[in-house]
Amino acid sequence: MEFPIIVASVIVVSLYVNLGIALYGIFARPSLVKKLLAITILSDTANAFAVLVGYRWPRTGTPQPPVLMNTTNYNESIKYYVEHAVDPLPQALVLTAIVIGLAVTLFIAFIIIQYYRLHGTVDVRKTKALSR
Amino acid sequence: MIEIFTLAFLMLVSIASVIAAFKAIIEKDMVRAIVYSAIQSAMYALIFYVLMAPDIVLVYIPVSVGITPAILLFVTKKTERYDGD
Repeated sequence: MEFPIIVASVIVVSLYVNLGIALYGIFARPSLVKKLLAITILSDTANAFAVLVGYRWPRTGTPQPPVLMNTTNYNESIKYYVEHAVDPLPQALVLTAIVIGLAVTLFIAFIIIQYYRLHGTVDVRKTKALSR
Repeated sequence: MIEIFTLAFLMLVSIASVIAAFKAIIEKDMVRAIVYSAIQSAMYALIFYVLMAPDIVLVYIPVSVGITPAILLFVTKKTERYDGD
């Protein structure tokens, strides 16, 4: 097997493992702050998946960022760009998703602070015991 | 073909991100967990850089290594430091 295929497999497997770890943190950890941290890991992993889908393993040469550098020889530049640049659409979507994720994280953080003011704890099991 | 060194670096960084995420979830002390999460985010930033997305790296490093751990540390300071048990 070729070395780039092994590397791609290792990246995909490690991202899946990160996804599983983050889901475990969301479902099984009692602290709400730890759940919020796991949500940030989950969203980062989803973003990394999107960027990895847009990546390209070219046959010849090295891949380049989706920026058209040289416009003097236009046809040659476009041909090289189409053959070597990675996909820019997932990068644009991920750029938006990171900022939206920051806003959602801030919102959930202040909900958790308000929860602590009301219940006196951020442990969901103790909250269930208290509300009885 | 991109170089062998870059590919090996990418592999090591992805494995390090798995280790950091595991430590961040398992850790009982929230402050140390947040630090591990920041390490994991830095590893993801390196993955983005190697995967030819430098514009994402420019946004991702301040947001996910700077602001999100700051928010989580603020929440930890306002609430409890140790989780569970």
